Amino acid sequence: MTALLRYQADLLLRSQRWLPPVILYAAFLAIGVQSGQPVLDSLGYAAAGLLPVAAWLVRICVTGEPDAARVCVAAARGPARTHLACLLTALLASAALGVVATLVVTLVSDPASNGHRIHVPPLRAGAAGLLAALACALLGSAVGALTNRPVLRSTGRAVPAMLLAALLSVVLAGSPAQAAVSGLVTGSQSGRVPVPLLPLAGAGLVTAAAFAAACALTARRSP
Amino acid sequence: MITPYGETGQNPPMQRDLRLVEVGRRYGLRGPWVLRGIHLTLTPGTLTRIEGDNGSGKSTLLRLVARLDAPTEGRVTGRPRTAYVPERFPSALPFTASGYLTHLGTIHGLSRKTAASAAQSWLERFGAAAYATTPMSRLSKGSSQKVAVAQALLADPELLVLDEAWTGLDAAARDELERAVAERTAAGGAVVFVDHDPRRLAGAPDATYTVVDGGLKLRTDSGSPPPTGPLTRVTVQGPPGAQLPPDAVRTVTSAQEITPGVHRLAVPASHSDVLLRALLTARPPWHVVSVEPDGTTPLDPGSRP
Repeated sequence: MTALLRYQADLLLRSQRWLPPVILYAAFLAIGVQSGQPVLDSLGYAAAGLLPVAAWLVRICVTGEPDAARVCVAAARGPARTHLACLLTALLASAALGVVATLVVTLVSDPASNGHRIHVPPLRAGAAGLLAALACALLGSAVGALTNRPVLRSTGRAVPAMLLAALLSVVLAGSPAQAAVSGLVTGSQSGRVPVPLLPLAGAGLVTAAAFAAACALTARRSP
Repeated sequence: MITPYGETGQNPPMQRDLRLVEVGRRYGLRGPWVLRGIHLTLTPGTLTRIEGDNGSGKSTLLRLVARLDAPTEGRVTGRPRTAYVPERFPSALPFTASGYLTHLGTIHGLSRKTAASAAQSWLERFGAAAYATTPMSRLSKGSSQKVAVAQALLADPELLVLDEAWTGLDAAARDELERAVAERTAAGGAVVFVDHDPRRLAGAPDATYTVVDGGLKLRTDSGSPPPTGPLTRVTVQGPPGAQLPPDAVRTVTSAQEITPGVHRLAVPASHSDVLLRALLTARPPWHVVSVEPDGTTPLDPGSRP
């Protein structure tokens, strides 16, 4: 698995296809996060924006390799494991992006609640933001896994489905990402730092199921 | 094929056999059956040829054999270490040839160092060493095919699946791939291939199957004579009273003892190295008197450097 992950990560980095989503995410943060704004609010914004980026990174990893190259790898390691390596690479990339974004946002934001009334400890806020970002990265990866090859194979269906599912996962009540983000937003109003462990666990479960389903389907639905 | 059955009861060859039992495959839930009722067993050390018209399902069968696709019905058992060579290999990969091969070597289970040196030596064998540091996107079609072939041979796979792997290779590389296949089977690997050229590895396959109407037929050659490819005649002298080593007997197409102790052997040209290796490493070793191309089907002198 290490060799597969290393290969996929190298493929992702060298292909430079990660640039558009990362640049777009940076722009999204630059627009919405300004220094001196309440930290928890900004962290919630950063986490919510990470979800579609995570889904997009999955799409890049899953579609980046030409078919003939993919079968060479799949013959050696099995199609399911090969696909899992693609998904995990994307998840690790978006998790890394989430860590960086959380760090930057925590450093530049004001450690206080809305209206600068109550002091919010930056370390605890950062930890809460990190958990929320991870929940969003996980759920975004799940969305990506379920709306790309091998589930949806035509671009015309995959991309709209992916964007719609990503949007819904951020806003629909009951989604772990929505729970994590709204926890941060309400925390910013009350001044109490939430610990979004439950949303993270929920996102983890959903993602594990989504990855398992996508990997199990690879050998059945190719080419 | 000699398999270590029975005596110790360990490492039963069943594990490395790949078996397709009553296998069927169709694409989509309601699609027509591409293949149905396929029974196929691939044992270590055998060379199998798959024939069939365009669109008959040869590639689908190879995908099932390489376990890239799961069968829609029936089952596939056995999980040999597999390598696959597609017909057309894309060069749209952001690696150099040796960088890609090193990655693939580690995926096939080699260490990074072994993978890098294996990559180098296989590129050399196929005359592509000069392209080792060239980005794949700048390789010609034939050179990328050499990379595709090299990735499959890097880690001595137990099962090698070649889907028209010879397409696009130059003459020297085509011959080299035939010899590499001969080596692989001699070393106990199973090889399955599809190729449009009927003279490809002629006389060498242990079994030839034809895909017809979604089913698999074993070709028995009762009607038409088997196609003959270039042969190599080897004259060898053995120790007094010795029998030809069994590994040598397996590869030759004909053998006659011209004078006591001196044998004249005919072997498919692709397998001459394997035969000589078997004879020279036999205990006691055999003496090679002469090696010459068969007069009736002369080798093209320009085909090899």
